[in-house]
Amino acid sequence: MGRYILRRVVQAVGTLFLVMLVLHLLTTLAIQLNGNPALAFFGDRIPSASQLAAVEARYGLDDPCYDQVGNPCLGPFVERLGAYAQGDFGTNLRGREITDIVATAAPNTLRLFVVVTVTWLLLGMVLGSVAAKWRGTASDHGIRLTSVLIDAFPVFVLLLVYRYVFAVPLSDWAEETFGASSLPAFWFRPSFDDERPWATIVVPGILLGLAGSAAFIRLVRASQLESYGGEHVRTARSKGLSERHVVLHHVVRNSSVPVVTAIGLTFAEALAGAVITEGMMNIYGMGGVLWEAVRNSDVALVLGIVSILAAVTVFVMIVVDIAYAALDPRIRYE
Amino acid sequence: MSDATSSTEATTGLVPDVTASRTLTSDAWRSLRRRPDVLVAVVVVAFFTVVAAFPRLFTATDPKHCIIGDSKIRPQGFGEVHPFGTDPHGCDVLAQLAHGARPSLLLAFVVVSASVVLGVVLGMLAGYYLGWVDGVISRTVEVFLVIPLLLAALLLLSLFRNVSVGAGSFDVILLPAVVLTMFGWMGYARYVRASVLEAKNLDYVTAARALGASDLRIMVRHVLPNAIGPVTALVPTAIAGVISTEAVLAFLGIGVRPPAISWGIMISNGSEWVTGGYAYLLLFPLVCLLATVLSLVVLGDALRDALDPRLR
Amino acid sequence: MTGDVLLEVDDLAVEFRTSDGTVNAVNGLGYRVEAGRTLAIVGESGCGKSVSSLAVMGLLPATARVTRGSVRYRGTDLLALSRKDHRRYCGEHVGMVFQDALAALNPVQTVGFQLTESLRSRHGSSRRDARRRAVELLDLVKVPNARQRIDEYPHQFSGGMRQRVMIASALALDPDVLIADEPTTALDVTVQAQVLRLLAEIQAERTMGLVLITHDMGVVAGIADDVTVMYAGRAVEQAPVRDLFRAPAHPYTEALLRSVPRLDAGILHDAGCAEVEGADAGNGAERPRRRLDVVPGRPPAPGRVPPGCPFHPRCHRAQDVCRTDVPPLAPVVPGRTSACHFADVVLGGARA
Repeated sequence: MGRYILRRVVQAVGTLFLVMLVLHLLTTLAIQLNGNPALAFFGDRIPSASQLAAVEARYGLDDPCYDQVGNPCLGPFVERLGAYAQGDFGTNLRGREITDIVATAAPNTLRLFVVVTVTWLLLGMVLGSVAAKWRGTASDHGIRLTSVLIDAFPVFVLLLVYRYVFAVPLSDWAEETFGASSLPAFWFRPSFDDERPWATIVVPGILLGLAGSAAFIRLVRASQLESYGGEHVRTARSKGLSERHVVLHHVVRNSSVPVVTAIGLTFAEALAGAVITEGMMNIYGMGGVLWEAVRNSDVALVLGIVSILAAVTVFVMIVVDIAYAALDPRIRYE
Repeated sequence: MSDATSSTEATTGLVPDVTASRTLTSDAWRSLRRRPDVLVAVVVVAFFTVVAAFPRLFTATDPKHCIIGDSKIRPQGFGEVHPFGTDPHGCDVLAQLAHGARPSLLLAFVVVSASVVLGVVLGMLAGYYLGWVDGVISRTVEVFLVIPLLLAALLLLSLFRNVSVGAGSFDVILLPAVVLTMFGWMGYARYVRASVLEAKNLDYVTAARALGASDLRIMVRHVLPNAIGPVTALVPTAIAGVISTEAVLAFLGIGVRPPAISWGIMISNGSEWVTGGYAYLLLFPLVCLLATVLSLVVLGDALRDALDPRLR
Repeated sequence: MTGDVLLEVDDLAVEFRTSDGTVNAVNGLGYRVEAGRTLAIVGESGCGKSVSSLAVMGLLPATARVTRGSVRYRGTDLLALSRKDHRRYCGEHVGMVFQDALAALNPVQTVGFQLTESLRSRHGSSRRDARRRAVELLDLVKVPNARQRIDEYPHQFSGGMRQRVMIASALALDPDVLIADEPTTALDVTVQAQVLRLLAEIQAERTMGLVLITHDMGVVAGIADDVTVMYAGRAVEQAPVRDLFRAPAHPYTEALLRSVPRLDAGILHDAGCAEVEGADAGNGAERPRRRLDVVPGRPPAPGRVPPGCPFHPRCHRAQDVCRTDVPPLAPVVPGRTSACHFADVVLGGARA
């Protein structure tokens, strides 16, 4: 097992490096195709001369490699990696250190993810188990249909509708009924308040969790069905074991494997969803920062955040791989 | 008692098939035809596809013909000059909706087709030849999978913000199409690769090879048909995904470019006017988007259920 | 005590609810298992042999129902118990070995855990006692390196070893009866022989009753004492093994025995094997060449059993009465029963 972990970590480092390289190559190509390297960093804004100079210096944009389309520009890449290794991720348009921004924003994203994961697990386990237990009945079909519809609803649309159509009336109502500083008022406030981070994150988190829960419900249902009907469950029953023992040690234990894998697989999507959610609800998390950065064409910030998020994804994938191996011994010995 | 859960899994094999042969595809087709939700979904998707292909069938007005004096007229109903009203610049909403369908849907079809082709080809090569070919392709899949689609799109399209590409149907979607395809093929590649690995061990493939069939022939005639079914089930949902993503990108200004109009752009503009009492500016494009996306997902889900025998 | 009747199944009928209506998988099966003796239940796929054993153990899926009959273990009717009690009883007294050990064992739990979970869960054994017992069980089934292997997982065992593990786990609570459902079908021939020998040894040591479900007449000849032949959900012949092989009393049994290929009877598959025949005919004896005998047609699907005797469409002795009247399972000769209107005729025309 230890060897497996080591191997995975080494692989992950390799993958991370490749990811950075790919991002770099694509960004470089984009810059080169753009024509004017430094201006590309400002989107459709007009930068001041000092801003332009700062960006050029920071990203080594005065390097001639940026004038030739197709040149991989490895020099600047290595320099930038070096800077990253030292914790220097650059600054945003207004000169604030990106690492600083991340330090403030990350906790909010983590809070969001906690709410989202709890929603997934709750909805998934409850509805999925019910659907599995009452397989073939109206409840099963009803749950599956609902989960299809929830799945279909793009997060973006869900949040848009909530934000622009429901949030204001709801928060007004909450303020009137419970008072302006009560919890419900904060729940429905369409924007983030960093003095009450949890309260203002709860509703967006639930909405995001809703939007992604269909996969979980389906997964829990399918894996429980497989487990209940599985031959090893029949063997366990043939030994006269209590149903509780069978369910715990043979059904739930076996279904936990695909659930964990699913968390890993959906993480990337969840991240995208988080960006949209934070952006639409003005939450000051990593996603929200990214969202505003794109709106403001602050490309340096976009690049920094995307790099960091990519690293986070790699990290999450290792953790999931390890959990998967811990749960399913067949994986450890490959 | 508590055993409502002992399912039919253990039954198959105990009671042999009572009826005559039922192939998987004919079963799939039959079950699809019967479902009312599938039929509705097909009609909706077909409708919007026609709108996208032939917008002039639905509106005679030019969406770009905007008279500022006619701005913010509320919907007047069918038969009038502006059945769905006009936007703050005086452009006819119905015309925008009809013409806006094309970039959204075209982008989705192009991206998904290209991703499928790319993914299937790479997946087959990786699965069939293994060795270093598989090594390179699998690594590439892993790396691209780590980068979330939306984030890559945000980054790359931001860099192109100040580049203009032209105004033809394909030009306006070119940039998003390239970026979305680049990060959309991995799922198909992995799927097909796994299918190929499974199929390679089947006896009839070995037999074909022993008879001297060329690699290409084996791949196309024997392996591909097996892999294609489940991949097909993924397509409608993927199309829905691209349509939604385009809306997000348009909201941020980096999707389909003005002056071209797309539903995403309409939603982006319309959302600013909801509180002003002009909710219709948001609702019309939103409903169109939602209807198309929902129908596609229903189709994809139904296809997947129909083609997966274990989920019955 | 040898000869004690341990398990008695009487007129068992099981029906399944399928998308095409209810279907009888087992329709009036009865047999008896005695301590120290092996009963083989033989039949083709779909004849209901596996379903009947699931009914005995209380393991039928929710779509199945026992519609009549009784299953008595030492006098207690198991079917009259609640499902929970039925299973608990069986776990204690009737062990079951399943066909595909890879699917029947839980892939994510260690072998040691699976061997002793019933001990720990139902008898409250301590972990140390359970480990010791697990090693004992693996030794019993002759798995080498038992102490090490109890911490391994099913996928790390070879097919034959895995089957032994299955047998060991069924023996954990010292049952009196062991039901083995096609225990060797998934194994190589040499491994088959080993596993069967193991079963025979264990049975002898513990004076257990062994029920062996199989479709392989060779296996039957190898270790059975008594045989029950099943067709379309019911028993069509029951006899001690030697008697059955020497002189079958039912056309189906006849046909089954005849279709076993025999290398010494000069049966060749088709004319293309002339060289082989020539080589065999070294001593100059004439060998008649026959096609391999098969039973024409296929067994009826459970929902489509023909009226009268279920075997009549495929029987070369079928008469009018066979098409209309269901032959009862009646004694032909003391100790043997057969469900054929013309059982004595069949018995008389036996192979020399």
